[in-house]
Amino acid sequence: MTALLILFFTALVTLFAGLSKSKTALQPIVLTGCALAIGSLAFDLYDYQGSLQRWADLSNMLRFDSFSLSFGLVAVISSFLIIALSGYAFRDLNQSLGDNYGLILFSLCGALCMLSFTNIVMLFLGIEILSIPLYVLAGSRRSQPKGNEAALKYFLMGAFATGILLFGITLVYGNTASFDLASISRSIENGVSSPIMLHVGIALIMIGLSFKVSAAPFHFWAPDVYTGSPSLVTSFMATVVKTAGFAAFFRLFSTAFASVESTWSFPLAIIAALTMTLANTTALFQSNFKRLMAYSSVAHAGYLLLAILAIDNAGAGNALMFYLLTYSIATICAFGVFILVSGQKRDNSIEAFNGLGKTNPFLAAVVSVSLLSLAGIPPLAGFFGKYFLFTVVFEKYPWLVTLAVINSAISIYYYFKIIAAAYFTKAETELENEKVVVSTGVRWAAIIGLVLMIMLTIMPGSVYTLM
Amino acid sequence: MSLIFILIPLVVSVLLLFSKATASRQIALVAAIANLIPTIYCLGCDYSRGMNCTFDVPWVDSAGISFSLGMDGITMVMLLLTNLVAPLIILSSWSRKFENESRYYGLVLLMLSALNGVFLAQDGLLFYVFYEMALIPIYFICAIWGGQDRIRVTLKFFVYTFIGSLFMLLSLLYLYLNTQAPVAGALAEAGAQHSFAWADLLKVQLSPEVATWVMLGFMLAFVVKMPVFPFHTWQPDTYVVAPTGGTMLLSGIMLKMGTYGAIRWMMPLAPEGAHTLIPVFMVLAIIGIVYASIIAVKQSDLKRLIAYSSIAHVGLIAAGIFAWNKTGLQGSIIQMLNHGINVVGLFFIVDIIESRMETRSLSELGGIAKSAPKFATLFMVIMLGSVAVPLTNGFPGEFLLLNGVWNYNYWMGAIAGLTIIFGAVYMLRAYGLVAFGETNEQTAQFKDVDTREMLILGTIAILVLVLGFFPGLILNISDASVNQIMSSVPW
Repeated sequence: MTALLILFFTALVTLFAGLSKSKTALQPIVLTGCALAIGSLAFDLYDYQGSLQRWADLSNMLRFDSFSLSFGLVAVISSFLIIALSGYAFRDLNQSLGDNYGLILFSLCGALCMLSFTNIVMLFLGIEILSIPLYVLAGSRRSQPKGNEAALKYFLMGAFATGILLFGITLVYGNTASFDLASISRSIENGVSSPIMLHVGIALIMIGLSFKVSAAPFHFWAPDVYTGSPSLVTSFMATVVKTAGFAAFFRLFSTAFASVESTWSFPLAIIAALTMTLANTTALFQSNFKRLMAYSSVAHAGYLLLAILAIDNAGAGNALMFYLLTYSIATICAFGVFILVSGQKRDNSIEAFNGLGKTNPFLAAVVSVSLLSLAGIPPLAGFFGKYFLFTVVFEKYPWLVTLAVINSAISIYYYFKIIAAAYFTKAETELENEKVVVSTGVRWAAIIGLVLMIMLTIMPGSVYTLM
Repeated sequence: MSLIFILIPLVVSVLLLFSKATASRQIALVAAIANLIPTIYCLGCDYSRGMNCTFDVPWVDSAGISFSLGMDGITMVMLLLTNLVAPLIILSSWSRKFENESRYYGLVLLMLSALNGVFLAQDGLLFYVFYEMALIPIYFICAIWGGQDRIRVTLKFFVYTFIGSLFMLLSLLYLYLNTQAPVAGALAEAGAQHSFAWADLLKVQLSPEVATWVMLGFMLAFVVKMPVFPFHTWQPDTYVVAPTGGTMLLSGIMLKMGTYGAIRWMMPLAPEGAHTLIPVFMVLAIIGIVYASIIAVKQSDLKRLIAYSSIAHVGLIAAGIFAWNKTGLQGSIIQMLNHGINVVGLFFIVDIIESRMETRSLSELGGIAKSAPKFATLFMVIMLGSVAVPLTNGFPGEFLLLNGVWNYNYWMGAIAGLTIIFGAVYMLRAYGLVAFGETNEQTAQFKDVDTREMLILGTIAILVLVLGFFPGLILNISDASVNQIMSSVPW
C-alpha cells in the first residue's frame, strides 16, 4: 500500500511538473518515485511474517501479502528499467512528456491493484486503471497513423474483453452472492444452486483474462497493437501488463475457483497448448522486430499459463513470479537496444541489428544475452524460469510440458535470427556501419538489466524463495 | 579442488571476452596449461574408493539442486583428454589471424570451462546446465569464424543438438520428481522435496515401460551429440564449416560429452529400459559404422573424410557402451581419449595442408612426402594410430571395444569388425593420395613443418606411441570406477 501511495503521488507530481518549462527534472522524479516504491516493497517483503499489520484494514478490498509484494516488485522493477530507458525514447516529446510519465505511473498503480485484490470489484477497477492510460499511450504519437490504429484496436479489444469479464463476474456473483474471493470460494465449496451458470461465469472470466494476457485464440490484437504503439509503450505492455495480468489470473483462480479446478483446468491446458504453438510457429515468419517480439510475448504467455494449471502445487506462484521477472528483464533489455538501433537507423526490421556486434559490442552482448535468456538456454536465467514452471506442472500434464519443451526449441530459430544479424551479417551500407550512439541513461539501464540477469543466473534460489 | 578446472578457464575467458587484450593467444595458452597442472596432479589420486575431490554446495536448495562436483576414474580420463588437448587446440590456432582475436580465445576457454563442468557434475541439473552451456561458445565460434554457409549450418547444428538435450531434461525431470526427499544436509534443512544428486537419481526404481521412455530421452540427447546414425546429418557440414579450432573442439572433446553422458547418466539411471531400447540403438550404431566408413572411402575432401571417419569411430564407442560389459566400457573409455588425440592431430594436418595449398581436395595433392618428409612422417604416425595398428594408441581401444561388442552378440561384433578393414582402406587411401605419387607445381613447394607445428604434431605422435605401448596407464585409472558403475546397475 505504501508503494501504491508513493507511485500515485509521484504520478500527480509528474503531471504538474510537466507543465513547467524545464523538462529535465521529470525523469529523475519518476525514477526516484519508482526507486522508493521498490524500497518500500522490498522492506515490506523483508518485514513480512504471515501478514502485514500496517495496512491490514482495507475493508477487504486489497491485501498486501507476500504474493502481491513480490509480484509488485517484479512490476515496479520492470517499470524502473523502462523509465530509465525512456530518456532516449521520449526525446522528441516536449509538451506531453509529463503526461506520458504520469500515464505510465497511473497504469502501474492499476497493476498494483490487480496484484493485491481480495475483491473482484478491485480486480475490475485495477484492470481499468491499468488499461485506460495504456489506450492513450498506445496512440501517444498522434501523427503516426499506425499508432492511432493500435490505440483504437487496443481500446476496442480491451473494452470487449472487459465486457466479457464483467458478464462472467455477474454470473459468478449471481451464484455466490459475493464479490469477496474467500466467500466465493466458500460458497462454491458448499455447493451452488446452478452449477452451469457458475461454470459459464468462470469460462467467461477465463476468456476475458485470456484477452488481457493475450492467450490464443484471443491474442490476435497483440501483434498489431505491439507493432503500432511506440516501442517503449510496447515494452511496458509486454512486461508490466503481462505481470499484472498473470498475477491477477493466478490469484483469482487459485483462491476463488480452486475447488472447481477440474472443470476449467483442461480447457485452460488447451488454451496454453494453442497459445505457445500458434505464436511460436507464426513468429518464425516475422521480419519486423516488434512483431516478432509480440509473437514471442504471446508464446511466453502460453508457458506462463502452465503455472495457473498447477495451482495445487505449492511452488506454482514462485515459479510464475520467477519466470515473469526473468522474462520482463530480458524483454526490456532487448527492447532498449532495439529502441536505440531503430531510432538511429530508421528501420524496424531485424536488419536494423546488422553488424551491431562490430559497431557496438556492448549493445550486441546485451541483446544476445537477453534473447538467449528468452529462448531458455542454460545457464541463463530464462532457463531456470522455464525449468521451475515445467517442474511444477510436469506431474499433472506431462504432454503439455513436452509440447512446451518442443516449442521452446522452435523459439530458438527466431531469436537466433536477431543474434545472427548482430554478429554474423556484415553491415553493408554506410548507415549500418555507423556506430550507434548510446545515451548514459540507456547504458545504465542496460547494465542494471545485465547485472540482474547474471544474478538470477548465479543464484536463482534466493529469488525463487522470495515469496 | 575440482572447482579449479571450471574456474580458471571461466575467469580468463570473461577477461578476454570483455577486454581487447593484445596478447590474448598467449593468455589463453597459459590458462589452458594452468589447467593441465591440476589434471596431472589428480592423475595420482586413488580412484578405487569412489569420488575424489568432491565439492558440494547447495545452489537452489529448496528445489534440491546443488552445485556438486566430483571425479572418479572415468571422469579423470575425460579431464585428461580435455585439458591435454586444449593447449594443443589453442596452439594450433596461433598462426591464423582472427578478427577480434581475444573474443575467439575467450570463447574457446568458455567452452573448456563448460566441458570440464560436464565431466565433473554430480548433480543432474548441473550436468544439464553445463551440457548446454558448452553449446553457446561453440555455436559462436563456428558461426563467426566459420566458412561458407556457416549461418544455416550452425543453426541446424544448434537446434538439432538443443532439441535432443531437451528430451534429456524431460527424463531428468521425471526421475527428479520420483526421488525421495533428502534426509540430511543443507537441502533437507531448506525443505527440498526432491533431489537431483546422482546418487539419489540412481535410487529411483522405474517400471520397464516408463524406463524405456526415460532412457529414450537420454538416448536422443546423446546419440545426436555423438552422433550415431541416423542422427548424424548435422555433423559433416558443421565440421567442414567450422574453423579448425572449432572442429577440433567438436570432434576431439565435445562429442565425448555424449559418450560420457551415456556411461554416467543414461545407463545407470534407467537401466530398466535397456532391454527394449539397447538392441535398436546397437543395430543403429553398427549400421552407422559401416555406412560412415563406406562414405569416407568415397570422399575427395580430406576434412569431410575425417568427419565421416569420426562417425565410424564414435559408432564403435557407442556400441561398446551399449553392450555394457567390462571390456566394452574399458575400451570405450580409453578409445574416447585416443580418438580425441588422434582426431585433433588429423584435423591439424588438414589445416596445415589447407593453409599452404588452399585446397583440401585429394585430387590436387600428392607427393608431399618428397617435399616435406617430417610432415609426412608425423602424418603417418597419427594416421596409423587412427587405423588402430598394434602398438599405436588406437589398437587397445578398438580391440577391447570389438571384444565387448562380440560378447554382446557375435554377429554384431563381426560386422563392427569391418571398421578396422574400412578404416585402413580410407585412411591409407587418403595418406597415399596426399603423401605419395607425383608432385605437382604446388606440392613441390610444400614447406615442411615449422617449430610450432612440430611441437603440436610431435606431442600428438609421442602420445600415439606411448599410449599404444602402455595402454595400462589409462586402463588402470578407470578400472575400479568401471567396476563400481557396473555394480551399481541391476542388469
